[in-house]
Amino acid sequence: MQHPTTERLIDYIHAALAPQDDAAVHMHLDECSECRQEHAVQIRLSEMLRADAAAHERELPPMLKAQIWNAVRSLEPTAMDRVRAWLRPAYSVPVAAALIVAAFVAPGYLHHNASGAPSIDAAYYLQDHAAMNGATPFGDHSGSAAAQFEETSNVDQTVLHAVPVVGMARVSR
Amino acid sequence: MFHASKTFALGLGLLVLGAAPSDQPPGPDADGLLHLSMLAPTRLSYVGRLESVQFGGSKSEATIYRIEHRAPNLTRRWYLAPQSLFGDWSLTRGSTAYNVDVKRKRIYVSTNKVLDDQVALDDNFGLLTSNYRVLPAPPQTVAGRVTIALLLINKYTGQIAMRLWIDKETKLVLQKESYSSNGAVTRQLRFDEIRYTADLPAPVFQPPNLPGFTMGKGATHHAPSNDLLSVVKAAGFSAGFPKYLPDGFLPVAGDVSDIKSIRNLHLLYSDGIRTLSLYENALGAAVDLSRFRTQQVHFQDYTGDFVQDGSTTLLAWHDEGLHFALVGELSRAELVKIASSVAK
Ligand SMILES: [Zn+2]
Repeated sequence: MQHPTTERLIDYIHAALAPQDDAAVHMHLDECSECRQEHAVQIRLSEMLRADAAAHERELPPMLKAQIWNAVRSLEPTAMDRVRAWLRPAYSVPVAAALIVAAFVAPGYLHHNASGAPSIDAAYYLQDHAAMNGATPFGDHSGSAAAQFEETSNVDQTVLHAVPVVGMARVSR
Repeated sequence: MFHASKTFALGLGLLVLGAAPSDQPPGPDADGLLHLSMLAPTRLSYVGRLESVQFGGSKSEATIYRIEHRAPNLTRRWYLAPQSLFGDWSLTRGSTAYNVDVKRKRIYVSTNKVLDDQVALDDNFGLLTSNYRVLPAPPQTVAGRVTIALLLINKYTGQIAMRLWIDKETKLVLQKESYSSNGAVTRQLRFDEIRYTADLPAPVFQPPNLPGFTMGKGATHHAPSNDLLSVVKAAGFSAGFPKYLPDGFLPVAGDVSDIKSIRNLHLLYSDGIRTLSLYENALGAAVDLSRFRTQQVHFQDYTGDFVQDGSTTLLAWHDEGLHFALVGELSRAELVKIASSVAK
């Protein structure tokens, strides 16, 4: 038997396979350490989601600033729906198997204005600059968390290539 | 080496000192503690929940995520808030990050070489301690842990740039606040929960297993170089440099990136905490600001556009064929002053 797909493993974990398929995956796991490892990862994933969901059911994370607390609070019903949807069966919607690898060269940053001259989205510069903060002690390298998940955020991060100027930052003390 | 007994003594001292930062010189204790805390993630494994808030003029952004960290450099984050990120997760393995957008069923793979560059980090630590005084501050309990608090005060301006709450026992930074030059909090990062652990299983930190996954395709990398001149040379055009930088800032890195066929030179300056980026290209590619609210700024013979994005500021302008973007956590006046000094 071939290695089961991640989707199939997730279905197996959630006992959603037909009996003979279930048995086949079970047998395969017995003899394939690679898939056992993936199996363990997926179990852990599911459990963490469940734990998060359970925590969410009790209370939202405490917030320091009232305005943000309120903003997050207003999202609660929707967030709760998402948690429920995330637990079985929705989570078995193949997270990994159906993942599409985003193109490395994103077209998003380069635009042409009306006159035909190219331009570069300012968001590129903001994100690239934020990524550089990883080199400063206690720096926040990610900038906006949301930006990491934006369609156009991939190009800067792959092209990004820092060259430390050795000696210039070295300070005699 | 920093000794536990000294930490303890420092902690006791703080109790006696009370609320006001002391006027004592920072001494090796505070600097040593700061250095230990910077490196703490490379030797500690933990799970916890973090809250990160960025305060901006018109918008504040709160992010809450669960974190699993395995020393030295494996980190997994599960996002709980904002709603748009709920359920998304990211995995950082050294300099490579996998950002998994569950809703859109996409993975964004990013490479950030600066994240694993210990030499650069140590150099910049030297820069930090040469520009900032490290003073003890009143401790506080964070996520149920006893902390030692440190203030980082700019030696030139006397302003507090950052406040850190460091786990007294483990030296991990449990809370951090960054301040703008007007004293406002620009960014806060805080553990709500933390549990140290020795045995996070490695499989949790395996990259997502994807059919047809190809890494590095299309990436544009240029050979690393040790000096700024070779970076500038790689840009292939006569670049402009600022003659003025705020006190304490030095050039720390450079890179050349092609965005499509537009070659961009990027010079990074830092004072150890704050950073400043100058981007320039000679191919007439202006900065597209259509997604941002801008203010026009006039300086010398130029008209620039200024953007405030949270605590980050950007100034874009052009000088004949050269297009510039200056990005930092500095005030508009500072950016204009720096931009005014840029000359070939
Ligand atoms: Zn297998």
